[in-house]
Amino acid sequence: MKVFNDAATRVQCDSITRWKKEGKPVVGYTCSYTPAEIFYAADILPVRLRGIETDGMEVGDTYFGPFICSFPKCILQLAGKGKFSFLDGAIITPGCDGMRRLDECWRKAGEDFDGIVPDYFYYFDVPHKSENHGMAWYIEEVKELIKSVEKHFNVSITNEKLTAAIKAFNKGRRLLNEIENLRSKDEIVVSGTDVFAATIAGTVMPRDEYTKELKKWVTALKKRKTSLSKNKHRVMLVGSISDEIDLFELIEDTNKAIIAGENLCFGIRYEGNEIKEDGDPIEALADHYLGTSVCPRMYGKYKERLAMLKERIERSQAAGVIMQNIRFCDLHGAENALFERDLEAIGIPCLRVEREYGPHIDAGRMKLRINAFLERIDAKNDHKLSEAVAVSA
Amino acid sequence: MRPEIQEYNYDWMMGSTLKAAAALPTGTKKETELTYRYIPYYKNVAQSFYSAGAPGVQTLELLAKYYENILTAHAQGKKICATTFCNSPVILYAMDIVPVTFEILTAIGAMVWKRGMFDYMDFCCETGMPETSCSSQRGAQGAVLSGLSENIDFVICDTPGVCDTNANAFAYLSEYLDKPFFQLNYPSCIGDDRSQKYHVDDYKEMIKFAERHSGNKLDYDRLAEVLEEVNKQDAMIADLEDMLMLKPTPVPPIYNLALYAGRFCFSGHPQYTKLLESMVKTAKGYADAGISGLKSKEEKLRVFMCYIDHYTVNVNFYNYMEERGIANVGSILSRNFRDNNLYVKDMPGSSYSVDMSSPEAMLDTIAQMNARLPMVRSIRGPYDKKGMWLEESLACAKMYNADCMIYNGTPGCRNTWGMVKPFARDIEKHGYPCHIMNDDAFDDRVESWDATRERLDEFFKVRGLL
Amino acid sequence: MNIVAGCDVGSLTSKAVIMKNGKIIGSHIIKSKPRPKDSADAALDGALAAAGVSKEDIKYCIGTGYGREKIEFVNEVVSEIKCHGKGARWMLPTAETVIDIGGQDCKVMKIDKSGNVGRFSANDKCASGTGRFLEVMANVLNIGIDELGKLSAKAKEPITLASTCTVWAQADVIKYINSGVSIEDIGAGINAAMSGRVAILVNSVKPEGDIFMTGGVAKNIGVVETLEKLIGRRIKRARKADPQIAGAIGAALLSAEKVNGNGRKVK
Repeated sequence: MKVFNDAATRVQCDSITRWKKEGKPVVGYTCSYTPAEIFYAADILPVRLRGIETDGMEVGDTYFGPFICSFPKCILQLAGKGKFSFLDGAIITPGCDGMRRLDECWRKAGEDFDGIVPDYFYYFDVPHKSENHGMAWYIEEVKELIKSVEKHFNVSITNEKLTAAIKAFNKGRRLLNEIENLRSKDEIVVSGTDVFAATIAGTVMPRDEYTKELKKWVTALKKRKTSLSKNKHRVMLVGSISDEIDLFELIEDTNKAIIAGENLCFGIRYEGNEIKEDGDPIEALADHYLGTSVCPRMYGKYKERLAMLKERIERSQAAGVIMQNIRFCDLHGAENALFERDLEAIGIPCLRVEREYGPHIDAGRMKLRINAFLERIDAKNDHKLSEAVAVSA
Repeated sequence: MRPEIQEYNYDWMMGSTLKAAAALPTGTKKETELTYRYIPYYKNVAQSFYSAGAPGVQTLELLAKYYENILTAHAQGKKICATTFCNSPVILYAMDIVPVTFEILTAIGAMVWKRGMFDYMDFCCETGMPETSCSSQRGAQGAVLSGLSENIDFVICDTPGVCDTNANAFAYLSEYLDKPFFQLNYPSCIGDDRSQKYHVDDYKEMIKFAERHSGNKLDYDRLAEVLEEVNKQDAMIADLEDMLMLKPTPVPPIYNLALYAGRFCFSGHPQYTKLLESMVKTAKGYADAGISGLKSKEEKLRVFMCYIDHYTVNVNFYNYMEERGIANVGSILSRNFRDNNLYVKDMPGSSYSVDMSSPEAMLDTIAQMNARLPMVRSIRGPYDKKGMWLEESLACAKMYNADCMIYNGTPGCRNTWGMVKPFARDIEKHGYPCHIMNDDAFDDRVESWDATRERLDEFFKVRGLL
Repeated sequence: MNIVAGCDVGSLTSKAVIMKNGKIIGSHIIKSKPRPKDSADAALDGALAAAGVSKEDIKYCIGTGYGREKIEFVNEVVSEIKCHGKGARWMLPTAETVIDIGGQDCKVMKIDKSGNVGRFSANDKCASGTGRFLEVMANVLNIGIDELGKLSAKAKEPITLASTCTVWAQADVIKYINSGVSIEDIGAGINAAMSGRVAILVNSVKPEGDIFMTGGVAKNIGVVETLEKLIGRRIKRARKADPQIAGAIGAALLSAEKVNGNGRKVK
């Protein structure tokens, strides 16, 4: 767990430093639609870009406008402060408007701050639909990306290497799925905070090292007997992008709740899904990364999203759902409202909060709402209990 | 939402207001004066349009007609489609579907009503939409969500890849009301073979969707008729654009609004042709006389609005331009990027052409035209890439002899607020003073119009422009 | 003799209430001090003095509010959302929807017969729908916060105020003062801007039954009446106690439940 915590809480964690020492390149990417397997196949370390460890916003606010989510601003802030100096490349994706504008803002900041833009800077154009021509476009984009990586880093990415990469990543995916199974049991032996840390670690650590560590951890978890969920409410955490351990801790530190599942970008969400290991590897990657992903950026997929959420609520036996959106994240904000409407209608308590990411995080305000929400679940359970007593009497 | 507002059907209210306003100038002077006494707030709005002469009244008529179409659609057995300004209504008219364009309706409400669209905008938030989402949709959308407008039958938007808040508003609407939804999406580049093909592939899917939900099969003869009308309109638009380049420009500031509002509402529809004819006629008169289209006849400054105009109550932004002697040489919304315009010459791949030789050619025409509507054309990719916002803005500023550029939008505009600061810096590097307005084009509660005006004055003064 | 207390340390004011057998025997409101602990001590001392009892007489005390974690003398802490729900139901036994506007927060909650909170919604980051907003504006106008509330009734043409940002609104207000707009029209504009923000929140939880308002802003008649117009429903008044101390009352009531064993034990 120590290695996961290190990876989850530090932008340049030890395993990245070790990788760099071997003289091997690192490429950062911004969005879950980027197939990390491509880089693994080229012996390049893919690292998902994060916004933690920001202590100011002067760089972020210089280039981004005032009405923009603080997550991409934090990434830019870190870049401006040289915290991403370990990057040899960066992939920008139109995950949302805020994230796609990181492309211009980062490059333009590079005109003012020397050396903050990696030599390899690539715009990976992910479409907003996965059917027919959308899928065809994405496959072409993947092929273009591969060609471009091959050329810049002077490597060769063959189909065999890609298949091997898929197999290597699948090992981790299977293990994450085992954790999800463990969390679906009546007694949970692992905190949501730890699971989230372990999942984030998977987005930054060298994959083989990660799989090895994860295997050890899952084996240990299976032997655990002490329940962490006794007398606590099982809750789900959903909504805007998050890579903040603090947010999970904020909820679990109340000692009244355990996070039994989440549906967050950076989380287990799709990480638990395996990718097809036979057939054309590029198509298999596209099927997974574009085909099975229903992020609100895909517009018009709400019903699938709701079905997925309901299934996760059931699997994790959650008593309530905490829905957060970072201010100016309209996609998750609007979706949370629909989720709230539809879940409350079937008796699942929901808490919808808007918040800031990064140095402006308002823990006090969040805590108040979370506590009140847990008290609400208390009252609901008390009510059920007294009804049950009345019936038996 | 305030209970008294819930008493009125919004479409009916606006439609009859606009109709009455369009009819007013046909009365005697005495009748008009008497009527003004009964409409103390609306008087200023109506007079702003009347003072623009025949095209002003034509604009009111066009908007009234737009509402009439919405109000009578279902009685005539037509379907109503909620859509966005940057999705051309041409295909809908060709398929006998009635469009409801949210941004236009929000702008109308904001301009003609003292309280603006506040109550409707807020209603969206009451249903759960974030208050940070774009006000341009939230106004008209609030009327639809609250059930105070004609029922819509399905939703088509074309902003995924271009504007999240726009696409999100329509996706939310469709889910909230459980209406069928279709989204056209755009890649980050334009003009290359690959993206041109994507435009067509996506457009074909959209037609299938519209056929399915309207029950009307696309009739190519009818499409040819509508495109013929577009052809006529495009020629007049190009004339107006040419005149906008003249110094002084004979085109009054408010014509810009009429030009694009008309196009977003009635592209390919004879109602818009009528308006264009009247605008071209009046502007040509000024051009022949070699005078400015401003009421003062003195053009002191030429401003290019690199994004959108400002639409709050009393059409005050256009009146302000008149007051200060500022010629509005257009905005991102004005340009249609038809190949017969001068400004497209420096931007290969930026324009569309009309080819009606075969159904396939017509489909290609309409798909490429749609891909060149404002915002979907040049806000889709990084602003400094080929064919995108910087190139377009600089080309226009040069062609139209602008003295400066002004950015105005809404706080909901994530796609431009994400990079407008470095964009403005680049614009300045090319020698154009650039002002970023911090207001909301549709909502005076974000920044009051008085404060907005003061900041504009300050910019013009500090930069030595006025 | 079951004497219990509730202490609500808010960002602008701190309140303490002493109750005996379900009746208030003393209460006190002070302006919050920089340190929550000092605020709590001062508020409680005032309430004890008013009740004529000593600290030792108190069987149980619950702390709530923004500074609740820092109060030393309490037995436990509870969120102010829960406390306001409890307090509101006690003040108005028919209340089903509660609007609480505090110094830096605005919350709307639905409550059941026992005052337990069901669905609730709270304002987001900006201060513009909170007591702080009114305080800032009253300062700019150089009037008391109570006077501000009375201006709405006298206004002829209320101004439209930038309402999404307190700082911008403040700039607007200064501009209107300088351009000679009447203080009544400005004041009414401020109250309307505030009510507009709160109305969105109220409508978003779909209010049912009797609506009751707690917190200091409940005393601003301008905001309350404008809000009534916006939501199209009456906001019920109760004379049983000052709505500003509803949170402290709720905390005291929860304390009483603890002592009487009526309530189920909090986990």
